[in-house]
Amino acid sequence: MSADPALASRRSLTLKFNIPISKTSEFWSALKQGRFVTTRCTSCGTVSFPPQSDCPKCMKGEATWTELGRDATVVTFTQVRMPPASFAECDPYVIAICELEGGLKLLAWLEGVDPEGVRLGMKVRLEGRTSPEGNPYYVFVPT
Amino acid sequence: MVVGTAGGWYEEALPAVAIGEYAGLESVGSMRVEAACASGSAAVRAAYDSVRSGGADVALAVGVEKMTEVDTLTSIELIGRAGSYVWEFENYGMTFPAYYAMYAVSHMNRFGTTEEDMARVAVKAHHYGALNPLAQFQKEVTIEKALQSQVVAWPLKLYDACPLSDGSAAVVLASEETARKLTDTPIWIKGVGSSSDSANLSRRGDYVGLRASVEAARKAYAMAGVTPDMFDVATCHDCFTIAELMAYEDLGFCKKGDGAKMIRDGETEIGGRIPVNLDGGLKAKGHPIGATGASMTVEITKQLRNEAGRRQAPIEHGLGLVHNVGGTGHYAYVTVLSRD
Repeated sequence: MSADPALASRRSLTLKFNIPISKTSEFWSALKQGRFVTTRCTSCGTVSFPPQSDCPKCMKGEATWTELGRDATVVTFTQVRMPPASFAECDPYVIAICELEGGLKLLAWLEGVDPEGVRLGMKVRLEGRTSPEGNPYYVFVPT
Repeated sequence: MVVGTAGGWYEEALPAVAIGEYAGLESVGSMRVEAACASGSAAVRAAYDSVRSGGADVALAVGVEKMTEVDTLTSIELIGRAGSYVWEFENYGMTFPAYYAMYAVSHMNRFGTTEEDMARVAVKAHHYGALNPLAQFQKEVTIEKALQSQVVAWPLKLYDACPLSDGSAAVVLASEETARKLTDTPIWIKGVGSSSDSANLSRRGDYVGLRASVEAARKAYAMAGVTPDMFDVATCHDCFTIAELMAYEDLGFCKKGDGAKMIRDGETEIGGRIPVNLDGGLKAKGHPIGATGASMTVEITKQLRNEAGRRQAPIEHGLGLVHNVGGTGHYAYVTVLSRD
């Protein structure tokens, strides 16, 4: 396909998004302080992650913020060896979906592990991190 | 006219308009639909609904994608964003192989599916791709070669993954009366089913199958009044080899966990219980993502008309199945096609 004649466009386009997070700002500010919170519906009690201000189960009720535990177990994982363009500088990284006590699942990097040593069901813990730009995020680490 | 395309990696912002002008269909009324890798099936579904409702007598469903205009890492970036951007991409750099790798790890752990089993899917795809003059890869591969290929997201390797492709396909749908005037060999849509699932992979119940596929199949089978043992031939969404094995299970060709046994026993080859992806599948035919659902519909139409040449399945009941997944089971479409 690449052997076919092509017009190499003179124009380029860069997209950089400013993503509004006002509805989840409590999550991000708590994370900056090293705490993990998410939303709980005042009407039916459903706890959601990612947090959201409207309940997807009962479709009524207000969202309140509730603390999350940090202990979790690995449900599934992979190691990315061919990263996307914006992660091109990263060494191969392990991404896992882990289940917190209570049943909520989160997807995040699993740091500090030998990928060949990761086992489903292994115990991990949520930890806060800060990006070079100062944005908070979270990872799992083995316990 | 309905145009199914994901877009974003090629230059046209309004592809339906560009296609309408090129084809002399400027005035028919058009739209673009998006269901990620199932956009082609979403276009077929929208065209089907417009004919069935009486809103149109004839409708054209086009699937199209041009994925090679941008560099490979940018393509990986754009496909990796096809989930929940803030929670799964921004900080973690998910890729499409990574999403399906998580399903593969879970399936291997639960059912004993192996990397060799997945390689067998690639070998089958390339075998039939070699018989399809329109396939992107028209050459056979061996299990050894597949297993030795580069790991892209462990345990998935290059040969577990479909390529980046350019391509298109189109399907003309018409009311029964008009179809009989237009052709002596109409193929009928007997059942359609679609379903969807959470944006965040973390919200899924398990990682051994796609709930949206199960639900889409249930709806399509009920509408057509068929059971999965009645199909002569099928196209299943094999964006990754593990996806084809899960599809056998999710579509009811075997029970949950027995997908690997089906490929080991040759049940999805010509001569087996239900031949799957005789066009080479996404793996060897290629996966221009918006085109795929339309292309699958074209393939099953050819098969039911006995026009597939060296890769023809024996047609007994006259029934074929199209299974097309968008994202990681974010969308699923199942279509039942019939000769009679």
